[in-house]
Amino acid sequence: MIKEFNVLITGVGGQGVILMSELLGGAAVKDKLKVRGSEILGMAVRGGSVTSAIRLGEDVYGPLIPTGKCSALVGMEPSEALRNITCLSKSSLVIVNTAATVPFTVPLGQSSYPTLETIMEKLRKAAEKVIQLDAAKLALAAGSLLATNVVMLGALFGTEQLPIKVATIKAAVEERFPAKVAPVNMKAFDLGYEACRQALK
Amino acid sequence: MKELTITADAPRERLFVLGNEAIARGAIEAGVQVAAAYPGTPSSEIVETLSGVAKELGIYVEWSVNEKVAFEVALAASICGVRAMASMKHVGVNVAHDPLMTANYIGAKGGLVLLSADDPSAWSSQNEQDNRYIALQAYMPVLEPSSVQEAKDMMADAFKLSEQFRQLFMLRSVTRIGHARSDLVLGEISREKREGKFVKNRDLLVYTPKEARLNKPLMLERFDTIKKAVNTLPYNQLKLVSGAKLGIIGCGLSYSYTMEALKWLGIEDKVSILKIGTPHPLPEELVIELLKSVKEVLVTEEIDPFVELHVKALANEHSIPVKIHGKDLLPRVGELSTRKVTEAIIKLSGAKPPVDFAKLDKLEKETTPLLPWRPPALCPGCPHRASHYAIKTASKRVARELGKDVEAIYPGDIGCYALAYNPPQEASDTIICMGGSFGIANGLSHVVNAPIVAHLGDSTFFHAGIPPLVNAVYNKANITMVIMDNSTTAMTGFQPHPGTGQTAMGEEAVQLKPEEVARACGVKFVEVVDPFDLKAAAKTIEAAIRFEGPAVVVSRRLCAIIDQREKRKRKEPIIPYFVDQDKCSDKCNACIELLGCPAIIKEDGKTIIDQALCTGCGVCAQVCPYKAIIEVSQ
Repeated sequence: MIKEFNVLITGVGGQGVILMSELLGGAAVKDKLKVRGSEILGMAVRGGSVTSAIRLGEDVYGPLIPTGKCSALVGMEPSEALRNITCLSKSSLVIVNTAATVPFTVPLGQSSYPTLETIMEKLRKAAEKVIQLDAAKLALAAGSLLATNVVMLGALFGTEQLPIKVATIKAAVEERFPAKVAPVNMKAFDLGYEACRQALK
Repeated sequence: MKELTITADAPRERLFVLGNEAIARGAIEAGVQVAAAYPGTPSSEIVETLSGVAKELGIYVEWSVNEKVAFEVALAASICGVRAMASMKHVGVNVAHDPLMTANYIGAKGGLVLLSADDPSAWSSQNEQDNRYIALQAYMPVLEPSSVQEAKDMMADAFKLSEQFRQLFMLRSVTRIGHARSDLVLGEISREKREGKFVKNRDLLVYTPKEARLNKPLMLERFDTIKKAVNTLPYNQLKLVSGAKLGIIGCGLSYSYTMEALKWLGIEDKVSILKIGTPHPLPEELVIELLKSVKEVLVTEEIDPFVELHVKALANEHSIPVKIHGKDLLPRVGELSTRKVTEAIIKLSGAKPPVDFAKLDKLEKETTPLLPWRPPALCPGCPHRASHYAIKTASKRVARELGKDVEAIYPGDIGCYALAYNPPQEASDTIICMGGSFGIANGLSHVVNAPIVAHLGDSTFFHAGIPPLVNAVYNKANITMVIMDNSTTAMTGFQPHPGTGQTAMGEEAVQLKPEEVARACGVKFVEVVDPFDLKAAAKTIEAAIRFEGPAVVVSRRLCAIIDQREKRKRKEPIIPYFVDQDKCSDKCNACIELLGCPAIIKEDGKTIIDQALCTGCGVCAQVCPYKAIIEVSQ
């Protein structure tokens, strides 16, 4: 049995972050793993930052990932990945969707948005394995922009580090969506999985 | 294989659940027959879950008009011998405080549990109060879980304990329990169904001074029995390590952070641990045993030093020479974390830090200025955005006439519309509590000379807005009260309320209209507007402000999220707007600066509308001075 594997998914309200953690957690229970996790709902979901932690393994007690103990950070949005940089250590895996969601405070001139280069440079300094993906493009190739989160979920499994079986998570994805859109999501998962494997080569 | 559900009769099987679903499951296992609540983060999903399975289980579930009524509904069921619960967020317990303070004079007949969802860090609340102090005041024993699994187990047990000791129990959840996710091992479901029976008993149920004096000593006796019994409850566990100098008392979820911290530091076998599942009353025998065995003690608990103060009192009473730490090393503000507990333990044990915390703090400090500010915002197409715009337009017009320096005052309230306290709306000058907008407006009207325009939502109006409205009529407060009616309780997940014509169990109900309530209460100016017609809405609100005496405007439009959902269901097209770049002055930015709609964005210096986000409300087209925003179909 695995001791501890911590996944942090970050993004913006509406990107399907919570759905991803539900899929991960459900699959982990099927694979007989101990699961803990937490997220912020309520005010944060209305366009604000969203983070969701899923923790797997025997040594896990609390619902939150301690500072520097993240095994894999999945950034649905680049600046939101950067916002959680202190969860990383050198050995963490980082996967970032390169599509930015710029908050309304930026055009109002109340804050600024960093360049993708700055974000990636900071993340690469914090962790050794950092992968960037155009997940939206892959989702469109699979058939729907709405499947962006499943592309990223596939990419997470493409690291081949997770203690959950690929077959289990794929079954969870297939069960979760109505028959009409399940194939799009299955394809999105595979495209994400492959893209990550290629990037790691 | 069929997926297991929250009502599955499958002992020992595992489910992946949200903490609040686990708490609901605990109540189901105990055979709860009545559950009442007013929604509030982080508690809403408990009764939400129960309402979804009420018919299947043959139980009664209601969204009450407020927490006071919710508690009274549960109390009545308990008096009649039926197992019952009331569920609410921490500040909701304040609303229920009045009956709560007498409830334990009566004690429980049917198991009675109050679920208090505290919110350390105030993630979605106006304050960070620690409700264990309310429990202390009400002689209400508290169960505080360390994990989602224990929350379920405690909830199931709480009903039995409540009946065994004839006392109302509190389960204190926190955000990181209710909104945590975990695997959950299911237990057996009680199939017992009781018939409620009201037995007249003036000595127990009719509170005049005589009964108060009669029943208080009996309540104290019951509480003393519980005080002894908690020493052997499985939720309190003492693990002494021989020769240990340091002992830690971990209460509720803080116990989990403590165990994780000790493991991280690699000293889990060098420290004695007392796990506390009943902070009130404390298992005094276990505490004393720990205090006598070590030189120093650290108490880990969330929010206030509740256990810490009691432990200090015990050490003093029993003259035990032990140094007790708690909030001197751990913050009183904000939720705890493994890191915070780890750092406190390092200070006491001299253990080596597992990571370089200072380096990570430096990194955070360097990173924060790079990040965009992403406050939660009103959704695209939210009718509140239009209502706020109309209120401000009207108020400014009147204020200007009263004098150059006169500014209108906008008392605000609890609900989605509170999100507009951020720029560009900056729509609330005060937000204090449910219904507080109308109450504060009453007071302001007697001390300042400026237009006072208060606003609250429909659910908040029924919860706590009617008494201050009546007060305004009675005491002649010259104020304008805007009820932003989006026909749901949107902030907490679209629960029905008296204005929606639907109950928690999906039955039809009488649909109360705020305007009819206002008229019946004697308000002489009552109008209903559609906020999407900005001009007409502003004109009516202006007339309301100019009216001498209390005035009510109901600004009615269905919540954008529900509206979009229903349109999709009906296969009705959603026609977005777009910016005609030939007409748009890229430097004007009026649409962005006046409305702050997430669908209006800047790309390469040009103002554009995100077609995927736009709901077609058309409000931006009304504020554009260049008439550059046009419906796509045109």
